[in-house]
Amino acid sequence: MDLTLLLDPTYLGQNLVDGLSRGAVYSVFALGFTLIFGILDIVNLAHAATYMWCAFAGWLVLTSLGLPLPLALLASMAAGALVAVGLEFLAFRPLRREGSDRLAPMISSIGASLILVSVAEAVFGSQTRRFPSSVLDPHPLLIGGPEGLRVTWAQVLIVSISLVLMASLGWFIRRTRTGMALRAVAASQKASRLLGINVNSIILTAFSVAGALAGAAGILVGLLTNNIFPGMGGQVELRGLAVVILGGMGSIEGAVVGGIVLGVIETFTIAYLPGGADFKDAVAFLLLFLILLVRPQGLFGQKSSVRA
Amino acid sequence: MRNKTPSAWVFGLVAIVVVLDSFFLYRNPADFDRLLINALLALSAFVTLHARLLSLANAGFMAIGAYTSAILVVKFSWPLAASLPAAVLVCGLVALIIGLPVLKLNDVYLAVATLGFGEVVRIVIVLNPDWTGGPTGANLSTGFAYALMKQAQSWMLVAFLGLLVYFFVRMSRSRTGRAFRAIRENPSAASTMGIPLVRYRIGAFIASALIAGAAGVFYAHTVGSLDSTDFQFGRAVNILSYAVLGGAGHWLGPLLGAGVLTALPVLLRDVVGAWFEGLRNFVQLPNILNGLALMLTIVFLPGGLVALAGLRRGRRTVSEAALSREKGPVATNPGPSKEDLLLVIQDLTVSFGGLNALSQVGFEVPRGRVLGLIGPNGAGKTTLVNVITGLVRPTTGRVLWKGREIHRLSAHRIAVAGVGRTYQNIQLFGEMTVLENVIVGRHPRIRTNLATSWLWLPVERREETKALEKALDLLRELGLSHLAQIPAAQLSYGDQRRVEIARALALEPELLLLDEPAAGMNEVETARLSAFLLDLKRAGLTLVIIEHHMDLIMKVCDDLVVLNFGRTIASGDPETVARDPLVVEAYLGRD
Repeated sequence: MDLTLLLDPTYLGQNLVDGLSRGAVYSVFALGFTLIFGILDIVNLAHAATYMWCAFAGWLVLTSLGLPLPLALLASMAAGALVAVGLEFLAFRPLRREGSDRLAPMISSIGASLILVSVAEAVFGSQTRRFPSSVLDPHPLLIGGPEGLRVTWAQVLIVSISLVLMASLGWFIRRTRTGMALRAVAASQKASRLLGINVNSIILTAFSVAGALAGAAGILVGLLTNNIFPGMGGQVELRGLAVVILGGMGSIEGAVVGGIVLGVIETFTIAYLPGGADFKDAVAFLLLFLILLVRPQGLFGQKSSVRA
Repeated sequence: MRNKTPSAWVFGLVAIVVVLDSFFLYRNPADFDRLLINALLALSAFVTLHARLLSLANAGFMAIGAYTSAILVVKFSWPLAASLPAAVLVCGLVALIIGLPVLKLNDVYLAVATLGFGEVVRIVIVLNPDWTGGPTGANLSTGFAYALMKQAQSWMLVAFLGLLVYFFVRMSRSRTGRAFRAIRENPSAASTMGIPLVRYRIGAFIASALIAGAAGVFYAHTVGSLDSTDFQFGRAVNILSYAVLGGAGHWLGPLLGAGVLTALPVLLRDVVGAWFEGLRNFVQLPNILNGLALMLTIVFLPGGLVALAGLRRGRRTVSEAALSREKGPVATNPGPSKEDLLLVIQDLTVSFGGLNALSQVGFEVPRGRVLGLIGPNGAGKTTLVNVITGLVRPTTGRVLWKGREIHRLSAHRIAVAGVGRTYQNIQLFGEMTVLENVIVGRHPRIRTNLATSWLWLPVERREETKALEKALDLLRELGLSHLAQIPAAQLSYGDQRRVEIARALALEPELLLLDEPAAGMNEVETARLSAFLLDLKRAGLTLVIIEHHMDLIMKVCDDLVVLNFGRTIASGDPETVARDPLVVEAYLGRD
């Protein structure tokens, strides 16, 4: 590897831009995980399958209906909310009973995930679908002349949509009545119920928000890699979980920061390590493992709930 | 549920699965190996689920086993028989490396950490084509290993599976099996019985990896070619679905689950598909069925098929004669009497998020004395017991046991050192019988292990008989022997409290911590309990009692410590403390 390339500021900047936009998608995806974990203390392993269905929903709206991108984003988020609410009714709510095993909801979400992916394979086949090229202007923005940074419109959109979503989620959780109820339910379902909060409807709200975030991530990743197929959830699922653990289970700030950190690390692995492109998929696992070894509560997490 | 005769159900279920699978094999005898390999894989998932762990690493370990053996046989001309232990050993080592850090954490983390494991294994396979043949891989039939491969015949699989089943049958009746059942029902209570939680979890995870690795070896040498995509997430979920459908409560479960889910989709496709064109080409059918099996079982039949059959592992039956025998003396363990101070609490502070549950509490418990710990609700009494037994770590301060610091030890070590306890909120192993609960309490004192049970060594029988007799003595002593065979959850509140005391005494502790032992008992029962506690005291046992029944406290205790809002407000002999104005105020309020 050429050493001058390593130190070249444009190359470095380019990788930062790429890593940032990649990481923004991971963050949006991971927020859905962390929201459900924060409230129900379970990992929804069907989140990635939800996201895959959303990407297909967006693709259908863009191609079959020929509608513009903003509508596709909305449709995809709506589809995500719908799937997640369905999951809550079929896979999670029946298990929220006295003396139920903590692992049970995770197991049922694994079953749901397998069903969702298999049905998608049956419906869409296993070949890759792509967004129509007319969706976005394919010419990148050049910053600093033709030799400078190349920023695609997709990247601009991804980062800005992600920022808007994260900010609105933060506002929703911290400033609204429902957000406050959500935090109360996260702290104690029993106490919330006694205080007159409709716990089931709050959990339903959380699932629809998490699903909508999966929907947004589905469209964004479609823009980023333009690669839509039934198995796409598997590629992002582990990354999402690594992000959630890196940031701290249940922490919103953690998911945002963790996603960006993972995106940047992955991009740099590809850019700076010889053969990095081949094992970029292992980076998330290694990072996950390292965090569990060194700081299992994550960057923003609390220690008490981690130990056995 | 309880009154069902399990045997009829078990025979019924087994018969259904056997018929289903015979029909399935009749249609294609070549599927026999696949059925057996799925049964092995199901057992590997069962081992972790039984220990209440959710692992998705089985497919990855299967791949490691398959590739390791294939490489050894094809590249290094090892005999198959030698490659099996080597491949399995590699799986065990990898499991140890992953398990050590992850299994110390809360149970959610194993699922997350193992989720990507199959993917990493796939990457390693793809990146080393010289060894593995790349993504679609090693075709074993091209090497001269072909002849060897054909020797890996079904009888080996049958023999291996048979051996495993033997191991499981023996284990379920052993001390180890009991400990796993206790962990499954209540990990934290199990650890205060002296069961090393993390070690058992790591053991289960490694055992699961070994079995999955062996399944991989057989898979490689019966299928004859390896494809890296065969060991991914879908496979992991399929393996999980066999174990979940069958049930994680009994070793028969995974075998039933694998039997149903291997045969059903194929039969549906071939037999029902004869009438429905669409079904014949529906390649996603097995996965959808497995997914449905997972969801439906978890929601409607959480214990799986074996729960339907009323099967639980290693239920111990005792003859009426044994139960009605004369009562023996209470087993207590006064220990060598050289140290006078058994327990010393120094400047103990515990804060939960800025709130001090205990602040600078300190007292001493001399050997043979009975200390009463009293105070209003929320005073920190239970937190104190949790600190002493290793369930809560103090923020500052020390706990000394015979002069040695114990506040950083894990709960099971403290129990082994001789500290037994009962719980304010009853923490019995509800599905296990009263007798089993008490025998679990004796766990660290029983000197057997898996090897003694598998090899039928004389010590196994001797120790088990001794444990049974000691447990029956304790039950008799507490007037519980007529309830010995009943699942603990079905007992009345007062009886459950006494079972907890019997279970704690089974440890033969030097110090017994009783957290509200008389709660929920009426006057007569409380008086009987007081008499019993005095008996224990006379036998030399040291006691710390938290209690609100003041008559019991005044009758039994030598010293009192009064806590309020986490602070010691009074201590000394019961008469003086009861008259202390601060104590009266804490209990009754100021005028």
